[in-house]
Amino acid sequence: MSRSALLEQLAQACRAGRADAQSPRPVQPTGFAALDALLPGGGWPLGAVTELMPESAGIGELSLVMPALAYLTRADRYLAWIAPPYLPYPSALARQGVQLERLLIVQVRDEAEALWAAEQALRCPSFGAVLAWPAAIDERRVRRLQLAAEAGGSCALLYRPESAAQLPSPAALRLKLKAAGRGTRVEIHKARGGYSNAVVVHSAAPTGP
Amino acid sequence: MLWLCIQLPRLALEAAAGAAAAASRQTQLEQAALRQLALWAHQWSSQVACQHPLEPADNPGGEARLWIEIGASLELFGGHAKLQQLIGTALHALGYSGTLASAPTPQGAALLARAALATPAATLAELQRVLTPLALGFLALPAAHLSALHTAGLRRIGELLALPSTAVGRRFGSDTLHYLKRLTGTAPDLLPTITPPARFESTHELAGAVSDATALLFPLRRLLGELQGFLRARDQAVQQCTLKLVHHRGAPTLISVGLSQPGRDAAQLLGLLRERLDQCALRSPVLAMGLVAHELLAPYVLQTDAFSQSAEQAAQFHGVLDRLAARLGDTAVQSLRLQADHRPERAWHSIPGADNSSTALPANHAARPCWLLPRPRSIAAPAELLAGPERIESGWWDGADVARDYYLASDSSGARLWVFRDLRSGAWFVQGLWA
Repeated sequence: MSRSALLEQLAQACRAGRADAQSPRPVQPTGFAALDALLPGGGWPLGAVTELMPESAGIGELSLVMPALAYLTRADRYLAWIAPPYLPYPSALARQGVQLERLLIVQVRDEAEALWAAEQALRCPSFGAVLAWPAAIDERRVRRLQLAAEAGGSCALLYRPESAAQLPSPAALRLKLKAAGRGTRVEIHKARGGYSNAVVVHSAAPTGP
Repeated sequence: MLWLCIQLPRLALEAAAGAAAAASRQTQLEQAALRQLALWAHQWSSQVACQHPLEPADNPGGEARLWIEIGASLELFGGHAKLQQLIGTALHALGYSGTLASAPTPQGAALLARAALATPAATLAELQRVLTPLALGFLALPAAHLSALHTAGLRRIGELLALPSTAVGRRFGSDTLHYLKRLTGTAPDLLPTITPPARFESTHELAGAVSDATALLFPLRRLLGELQGFLRARDQAVQQCTLKLVHHRGAPTLISVGLSQPGRDAAQLLGLLRERLDQCALRSPVLAMGLVAHELLAPYVLQTDAFSQSAEQAAQFHGVLDRLAARLGDTAVQSLRLQADHRPERAWHSIPGADNSSTALPANHAARPCWLLPRPRSIAAPAELLAGPERIESGWWDGADVARDYYLASDSSGARLWVFRDLRSGAWFVQGLWA
């Protein structure tokens, strides 16, 4: 083993040791037992960025987070949806338990404004979750959102294109989402304090008339 | 009574020297600035008076003066030294430099300020002691009166005060005697006090034409400081204020900001106005700026939200909403509400801002997709129908009637669509995504 490989191994061991020593990070259970079992800590990480990378729109990518969002609104925390690509259908959200009076839609003119708005909301503990759909976001900006989420203790959910999986990101959790019949297949692409590449077939909320 | 006197060497910092017209304009500006300062001073006392340089009586030096009766406020602000320091710091923050001194009589305080004596004189006896060694030149008397005193061989104030008052009146005139009585507190000083008006309006002239918005921040900070002092004095708050930028020609630029809760924090308002200023391209240079707040309200007291959120958190939340509205526009933040209508496109509406009124879910609701398209999109035919139909027929009464069969469908990529077939035309549309 070369000297540099040995050093890298040592560094990894140190990082792993430190991660174990830390107190468990707060999470918000997803409402899906199978998914909770897979995620480090047993839910969506609070005070951190989670990246969701669906292969296309309409594969249950929102239903996946809906039970957690509904829970947060019932706990009187606000949701900020920053420049959603379509209209969140109020009837569907209400049916899934979201308190609509705790849901705020923020319209912006460009991506810079969207990230600025997301950061503002994330820093404020009154917001339980902030959802954003950045078309292109670099590592540095994800880190900014990560810091903002840490400050506010809220859940930052970034919907990114599937291709973003190839790019490095400081997000605590990165998931790839794929269509699976009427459900959604969740692949852990990266999880802080967890195992990569674990796979589960997850049945989404009842999505059909 | 304890009077604090602030002596201001030069009021409007932007001195317009030269022509007589400019000088008279300057005078008007200084008077306006002094009035504003008097309103600002009401945050510390209900008794405030001022003296403009052009008011000739007792004012040969030509300085502007502001008096604040602080005796009644000492306890509230933690003592004499503390309060005086507080006022000094606040004055400095507004961009004024002045000399502060206090004494039991207004004229005494003014004299000590003129002499720049920091020695506190809390009682009449102390004042007398402090005055005794001072030169006669500090007395606020016309030059002729002063030279008469000098000719009589007097050099120190103490020597003059030692003379019997009848002798002073006889030898130097009743004006001088009356002034000395007011100075030492043996005669009352009837200063005209100033009462604050029911709205706030203040204008600030700039040194020159400003075309860079960032250069407006300093005078803006001063205006907001005045507003804050004014509101504190009255225990009131504002929910909206308007900044007026005056140009050389054309209508002034008006920039309004609103707060979701009545407030009076200068820093908060500055943050909001700053966002707006950053966006607004100045169409022509700014010569003057004004701040107006029409509606004065009771300050916001936290009520219902306190059950679930701490007061601080609620304030922070409203601060975020205000910042978003200031930078992104008043209608950028929206809430969604349900509407009792079977047609999906009419089953909801959006309202600006955060609204805490809760909505009851209309009964009878089949599953709906999370995403709704802004308007139905025409498609050839769905790849595969997975469930349905659900028939929606409604709206015959308002001319936008629909007759549709809705299905859960999937496209070739596996995405799940909410599609309908128009029963009249037979055409297919996609209206939502099962996200």
